[in-house]
Amino acid sequence: MTTPIEQITKRQPQPKRIRRWRVATWAPLMVLVLLCIIVTFINPNFLSFGNLVRITQSAMIPLVLGIGATFIVLMGSIDLSVEGVVTLSAVILSMLVLNGANSNNLGVLAVPIVLFIGSAVGFINGLVHVRLKVPSFMTTLGTWFIALGAANALLGGMSTRINDPFIRGLAVVRFMGFPWGVWLALFCLLLALIIQNYTRLGRYIYALGGGEDLAALSGISTFTVRIATFTLAGAFYAVGGILAAAQLGLGNAQIGTGWLFTTITAVVVGGTSLAGGQGGVLQTLVGVLIVGVLSNGMVLMGVPSSVQIGVQGLMIIAAVALSIDRKLNRIVK
Amino acid sequence: MVKKIIASGVTRPIMRRSFLKAAAAFGFAGAFPAILIRSANAAGTPTVVNSIRSLSNPYHATWNKGGAAFAKAVGAEYVTLVTEGNSEKGIADIKAILAKTGGNCVINIDPNDSPDARPIVEACKAAGAYVVTQWNKPADLHPWDFNPNYVAHISFSGVPYGKAMAAALIKSMGGKGGIVALGGIESNVPAIERKAGLMQALKENPDVQLLDMQVANWSGKEALEKTNAWLTQFGEKIGGIWAANDDMALGAVEALRADGRAGKVSVTGIDGIQLAVEAVLKGEMAGTVAWDPYWQGGMGLAIAFAAKTGKFDPSKEPKEHREFYGTGVTITSENAQTFYDANIKAEPKLDWNDIWGRASGQIQYN
Repeated sequence: MTTPIEQITKRQPQPKRIRRWRVATWAPLMVLVLLCIIVTFINPNFLSFGNLVRITQSAMIPLVLGIGATFIVLMGSIDLSVEGVVTLSAVILSMLVLNGANSNNLGVLAVPIVLFIGSAVGFINGLVHVRLKVPSFMTTLGTWFIALGAANALLGGMSTRINDPFIRGLAVVRFMGFPWGVWLALFCLLLALIIQNYTRLGRYIYALGGGEDLAALSGISTFTVRIATFTLAGAFYAVGGILAAAQLGLGNAQIGTGWLFTTITAVVVGGTSLAGGQGGVLQTLVGVLIVGVLSNGMVLMGVPSSVQIGVQGLMIIAAVALSIDRKLNRIVK
Repeated sequence: MVKKIIASGVTRPIMRRSFLKAAAAFGFAGAFPAILIRSANAAGTPTVVNSIRSLSNPYHATWNKGGAAFAKAVGAEYVTLVTEGNSEKGIADIKAILAKTGGNCVINIDPNDSPDARPIVEACKAAGAYVVTQWNKPADLHPWDFNPNYVAHISFSGVPYGKAMAAALIKSMGGKGGIVALGGIESNVPAIERKAGLMQALKENPDVQLLDMQVANWSGKEALEKTNAWLTQFGEKIGGIWAANDDMALGAVEALRADGRAGKVSVTGIDGIQLAVEAVLKGEMAGTVAWDPYWQGGMGLAIAFAAKTGKFDPSKEPKEHREFYGTGVTITSENAQTFYDANIKAEPKLDWNDIWGRASGQIQYN
């Protein structure tokens, strides 16, 4: 004889739920493999080593930006300041290293300065968001424009050529066939994985995204976690800014344009839920590769320019539709 | 230290009232300069005003420099209005400056969008200010319908320059081979015209094959990505890259550089920004066209200023002085050094009295 309570416990469909969740997690990876197969079928050059290098080259910046944004999205917040921080860091970097506009020549020293500025913008994001209780959407929208305005004021609209061999080397000099920038992006990924999986901050971020009130009740200082996460994200965007400046070999106030869309797309397509609590930086890697392979592949396949942007939009909807577990979400707003 | 700041932020919320007070103080302080200018501006030398899209691109920043140089030359007060891509803001700012100066001003404007030109011109006529428009205006709005206040409209035809750059590209490739092309935003008039010029040049050179044309939306970053994909798709078949502006051309050059092929594949751009002229000097680009925004920003004002101060009567000028194509400077390896020394290394020296010097024919609308 079993008591009713035991019956209920037995009936809980725990294993089944885990299996469903897994299928959804693997959906982006399957999409990526499928995409690669289709593009290779139409243009075998896709699989050449040279093209592999080019895809990683164009994926390095969105990967670093996506890592930063992933932490924010995991908390259930959003960060629109990506373009602002990228622009500001690229502009400041271009003015501190050997360049064509002034006599500064700080070389590698400029990197920690730029990282500090990126984190500072992130810190301000966090502080305003938490202290003035402004939603992250509005806070980061504001800092986006502030950072962009600062970059504009610094350069007065002109472009600065970067002549520093170290910075340019990130895009041009290769190690084992790949530019140093790609290795830097991989290092950032490793760092992010460690933060996400092996630190208290990483676990707290998931806790906040899963249910902030619960996290607060269990003694987590949600404010501190939020500020720290925004600061961390700012540092990653600054790395993205350094890579962007290295890739184009210049700093100007328009260098960040378009990165926000790519970043958020990559994060969401990878399977990180905008509601927070689900996903991670590895998913973002897959998302970045999907976006990269698709845009590279569409040119290889000869898709007309006007169709390409539309395909990207379709992809976002398809990817999210594939990765959402509709049985868990009764209400969609 | 940081912990302390965070802690104080966490524990002590700012009071709404003190926040609002601070905001009000800020707003009041911000209004001060405007109040001071208002009284300082009585009758006398007309205020000279440039209205442009933004100061965040090299093109308009140089435009602004030209305007400042002209204002300095005639000793007038100089004002820059920035639309930030917002037509309503652009028109409202113009009306504000007309009210502030009582119509004693000349305006040189790159309207944010073609329809904006009409309300702006009408407002200037009503206030007695003199205006020159550039690039954008409706085809049926003519300066001679608003005598004498609407002095002139200046534009540049993309067709001959798109063609000239394609010709320079083909020449540097030795007259044959495959090229790829990077286009601007598909609905933009300059993008359409420059592409038409490219097509004309291709028709005249049947040995040159257009492998692919992609839209990179005027952006260097997008051009870099498209060029990367092309390097995979066509590899050695690419002999030249034609880009509809310099930002995209420079993006293509960087993609080539990462591939170890910068300088080996010819690239051309259009606009004549400093970095592009430098790339021509280094042999990484085969050519570009300089519109000379410095001239546009300064001479647009000079034309309106001359009319306002009675140096000439707009209503007596021929139509090819009222609605004309400016002249671009084609820059290739042959004249890049001369151009660089005269226009970029040194502050350009323009004769502000030579107002019709670069008028090259009345604008044709079809």
